[in-house]
Amino acid sequence: MKQRNISEFLDKIKENPYKEIVVKAPHCGYVEFVVTQKGVPVSGPEGKYKEKPGTLLAYIVRENNKKPIFALENGAISEIFPLKNKEFVQAGTPLLKIRHYLTKQEVIDLILQKTLYLVKAQEKGKYYFVPEIDKKIGTKGCQSVLLRPGEEILILNVMKREKYISYEGPKGLIYAIYFKQGQTLDCGDILFGVCPQEDLESIKEVIVKVQSEWEEVRIG
Amino acid sequence: MKKHKVLIANRGEIAIRILEACRRLGLDFVCVYTKEDRASMHCELALKYGGEKSLYRISSYLDANEIFAVADHSQATAIHPGYGFFAENYRFARRATQRTRPLIFIGPNWKIVKDLGDKINTKRLARMLNVPTVPGSDRPIYDDLEAEELARNLFNFQKEQGIEYPVILVKASAGGGGMGIEEVGDLDRFKTVLRRLRNYAQRQFGNDGVLIEQRIFDFNHLEVQIVADKYGNVVHFGTRNCTIQSTGRQKRIEVAPGFYPKTISYAFDANKVLNDIVKYSIRMAKYVGYDNVGTWEWIVSPTGQPFLMEVNTRIQVENGVSAIISRVKGKDVDIIEEQIRLGLGEKLTYTQRDITFTGVGIEYRIIAESPEEDFQPWVGTIERFSWPKYEWAKVFTHVPQDRPYEIPTEFDPNLAMAIVWGKNLEEAKRNGLKFLNEVVLEGKNKRGEPLKSNLKFLKQKTESILKF
Repeated sequence: MKQRNISEFLDKIKENPYKEIVVKAPHCGYVEFVVTQKGVPVSGPEGKYKEKPGTLLAYIVRENNKKPIFALENGAISEIFPLKNKEFVQAGTPLLKIRHYLTKQEVIDLILQKTLYLVKAQEKGKYYFVPEIDKKIGTKGCQSVLLRPGEEILILNVMKREKYISYEGPKGLIYAIYFKQGQTLDCGDILFGVCPQEDLESIKEVIVKVQSEWEEVRIG
Repeated sequence: MKKHKVLIANRGEIAIRILEACRRLGLDFVCVYTKEDRASMHCELALKYGGEKSLYRISSYLDANEIFAVADHSQATAIHPGYGFFAENYRFARRATQRTRPLIFIGPNWKIVKDLGDKINTKRLARMLNVPTVPGSDRPIYDDLEAEELARNLFNFQKEQGIEYPVILVKASAGGGGMGIEEVGDLDRFKTVLRRLRNYAQRQFGNDGVLIEQRIFDFNHLEVQIVADKYGNVVHFGTRNCTIQSTGRQKRIEVAPGFYPKTISYAFDANKVLNDIVKYSIRMAKYVGYDNVGTWEWIVSPTGQPFLMEVNTRIQVENGVSAIISRVKGKDVDIIEEQIRLGLGEKLTYTQRDITFTGVGIEYRIIAESPEEDFQPWVGTIERFSWPKYEWAKVFTHVPQDRPYEIPTEFDPNLAMAIVWGKNLEEAKRNGLKFLNEVVLEGKNKRGEPLKSNLKFLKQKTESILKF
């Protein structure tokens, strides 16, 4: 992507730099709200390993277990869904909405998805890296994995049946991973982005540009 | 019977069959579903017959806490696990019955699920009762060197028996339903297969233990349907033959009875084999105090030697094919209804003498898959699905007929179970082909490609049913 295009894209993001995040009940249980007012600032997890949880929003109680629901991103509460305190909710019931200002990393990811060669889910199913690649990512990081066309890279699990998938893009490094292994993905969802080695420098420039131009807003 | 409310902790067609059995028994019910399953007919029927309070959305069918939370909120008094994950999970069965607000677990008591639900314990028990089992390991193996040693011994053992090309099976010990089984013909390849299978087992079942057994070639896969109550009474509902499977060893056609010596000639005394596997199954069921429905799975070698494979301490998908040939005191029987009745503490009201068998039943598993491409599941949307109505045919499905249905990829691929009956094997096969020829199953995937199904495969295989 050219510098001019990147600037245009950044401007477009700046017009509406927010993402609405709906916090849903992860499972059935009785909901107990901790945050009860709109506009309250909340923060996501912090620390090197995100070991400090975000703002406590609510509890879901089931089988005598009180499960805390934390904010996963910074932002402010923009909506509280009309539920009574200690009401039984089913899995997936919307509880709250957080208005989240995009971080530098999220903006970088958005732009990278326009720059990198994207490997997408060919069909609906659960995706895994083959064990050799998975191990390499785990020990040295994804940018240590050089992919060559024709190489088996993924395992697709559909209805408990597995199929090996070969890489069909240009030779390059896995630059960023956008999926969680074992999560069900739809056809067309982005799995990861590959950067040909010769493009590494221009990708770094993109990142520098976003880092200098995007001002992160911290609420809460 | 006390008015119970049964929580149906499963999905798809089995949830519908349980729901309908509850209604016939005059019991209340409550169903659960996950977001991927919202379009399943089991949700629609739950709402239709039970109203809003009979259907709960949960995050996962595999989350016990979730199931129990729904049970308490809905005031369920019993829990039916269907044939899924919880059906053979003794911890779940134990927890259901021992929690502060106990629930009746509709299945065998948890101690039996523990003893027989584990393939390895079953093998040990069978050997103790002189019930024949396949040579091989009787505990999960986690150590590669130990696995190689056992594999080497099994290859040598077969060579000593005069088997020219010995083969062994490597199975994920926590697997089931044909998942996680590979065969190997030499020790070098064994190491590669072992590594791959342990990786697969860890991903699929969270346990990378393996079992290693001698591969019996060209066998038939038979089953014995056991039904027992909590008062020591045990009966059987005959045998089934489940030999016609996909390449991944998943059942595609089930037939009752297990052999048909009236018109098919076997290299062994087929009646004796059927009688033997029933006798062995009942012997084990009585010994352990079996107290609900269960299936004893057998493999029968080409020379008519039976080996116990495993016991499924639950209702099977194919229970209906046994029911269609069975009469109790001359009347039709529903094995799921029996399971619920007995699970709730009622007695068997009949003995083996009251059970008669008539004709032949064939169950076809209709699946969107490509048999030509190693039975790879087809993923997409079903646009038309219909089948003919005959008095000799039954269809169990969760796929709606009045609207498009996107096949979820998270579950087993079965779309429908069609069970046909005939007064003899020839008539059953004729009926089967007639039925399959009239099934309409069409759809498209996201790339606009047409639906692939196994209908042609089922028709082709009908000819060879029960032939050994």
